[in-house]
Amino acid sequence: MIELRELRKSYGGVEAVHGVSFTAETGSVLGLLGPNGAGKTTIMKVLTGYHFPSSGKAVVDGIDVEEDPIAVKSRVGYLPESVPLYQDLTVAEYLDFIADARGLGSSAKAGRATAGAAETGERARAIERARAIERARAIERAIGACGLEGFYRKKVEELSKGYRQRLGLAQAILHDPPILILDEPTTGLDPNQIIEIRELIKSLGESKTVILSTHILQEVEAICSNVIILNEGRVAAQGAPSEIGKALKGEERIRLRLKAARGSAEGLDREALSSLPGLRSVSSFRAESPAVLAAEIAMPPADAEAPDVGETIFDWAVSRGYKVLELERHRLSLEEIFVKLTSEGEGR
Amino acid sequence: MKNVLAIAKREIRSAFNSPVAYAVILGYLLFTGIYLYFIRGFYVAGQADLRDYFTVMPLVFAFLVPALTMRSWAEERRLGTYELLLTLPFTEGQLVLGKFLSSFALAAIAVALTIPVPLTASMLGSFDAGILVTQYLGVLLEAAAAVAVGEWISSLAKNQVSAFVGSVLALLCLVLVDRVSGFFGAQGLAAGLLNWLSLAFHYDSFSRGVVDTRDLAYYLSASVLFLYLASWGLTRRKWS
Repeated sequence: MIELRELRKSYGGVEAVHGVSFTAETGSVLGLLGPNGAGKTTIMKVLTGYHFPSSGKAVVDGIDVEEDPIAVKSRVGYLPESVPLYQDLTVAEYLDFIADARGLGSSAKAGRATAGAAETGERARAIERARAIERARAIERAIGACGLEGFYRKKVEELSKGYRQRLGLAQAILHDPPILILDEPTTGLDPNQIIEIRELIKSLGESKTVILSTHILQEVEAICSNVIILNEGRVAAQGAPSEIGKALKGEERIRLRLKAARGSAEGLDREALSSLPGLRSVSSFRAESPAVLAAEIAMPPADAEAPDVGETIFDWAVSRGYKVLELERHRLSLEEIFVKLTSEGEGR
Repeated sequence: MKNVLAIAKREIRSAFNSPVAYAVILGYLLFTGIYLYFIRGFYVAGQADLRDYFTVMPLVFAFLVPALTMRSWAEERRLGTYELLLTLPFTEGQLVLGKFLSSFALAAIAVALTIPVPLTASMLGSFDAGILVTQYLGVLLEAAAAVAVGEWISSLAKNQVSAFVGSVLALLCLVLVDRVSGFFGAQGLAAGLLNWLSLAFHYDSFSRGVVDTRDLAYYLSASVLFLYLASWGLTRRKWS
């Protein structure tokens, strides 16, 4: 579980995050969405103990990041935006280092050496063996989860961008952390890999607290249970991906295409359409061909759930002798909400 | 301690997986060898004395050590692994110490590879083993202080080149500062201060085979000071 309270962070006098608060529960995937410079990465850097907040609090699993950064770091798996890999190590050596850093058992060789020196003998050896096995299993699990089998002996610099991204993710999940923080985890992957990694993140999110940042909106819709839209260091909108759409006013539209049964559609006019009950305004209205008309009609939010708007339109069209080619209720996509929310700031 | 060793192990692995470490160590051995046998004419002089060889070490280290330490932090910044290191459960002190240890180990390996020089020389005449041990102790202490300086400058530098140039300049200043007092005829307190600052001045008695606790204390406190500065700089960065 992660809690941010009125977090502010400034770099050299310039404030990048202006008082952001949110809570991310265990067993959920929270998406941070926003244009570049919105403060996504800054928030992640505070949560991972890389930066300390200028004011406000960041609490990870009940631990304040400023009070005990080491305890926070050991509970967090972090994949930074620039995937942090050592080019001149092999995949095995790299994960070995991470396992050392995370205190996962000890390498088999070290285990043998200490057990040999220890007088306690049998028991110490058994513990060492158990820890070495645990470590080997952790590495195997991370490699399997990220699809890196067969690359174990490869040098990092020989890996393609997609596989580097996978290795970065393997690094983050190696110690099976309760908290996962992923900064743009699917950049540089091909569509198949993206689906695989999204599935992986989704399954990790069932038992962990996952925060990911992205500017890919389908990603949020595909894997996030909650989303926070950030703009210029502030929360612009917050909620479940579907709720955010609903919360914005007048966001449901009806797309309509009509064909005149005989002759042309010239007789059809805007006013007649917008005066129908349950509709608000006709936002676009054009003739695709002499006989076919396309219109987009906004519905007032109060009537968003009204079931009979489609019926009204249909009856009206039939009474006028039109054929309904298309009648589609359309909810504003996250993409459109995103553009709407983040461009509002630019007007200031 | 486990964490420090984990960091050092990773550093040394990286160093030996790339050609840089080999090239730097080879360059060091070649240069000191050429200096001893050709420039100082060891065989020509016909004296079983390696003092010249050891006296030149601080000056050589002013170039060797920056070549070893320049990667340390600057490379982490370039690769983006800086962010990884600072978000793994390491304290700043452990990070600095781990990196110091690995660079010092590389320098020590380079120094150890010079052992054949006194060994072959000992076949030509009688050597005082005690003096030799003291000379090597001095070399290692001087290397430790130089590595600490190099690590500190690397932690401040934006890239490898500036880390290298900065460290070379800083070490040259520290090595040569005692010559200044002789050159300008500085006397009394000023001369004492300049000498006291110098990495080479404190090394002098070691190369004569004398262990002076003041010199020992100087090298150890210089190492601690610069490592502390590096660690302080890393901690401070979290707030800015």
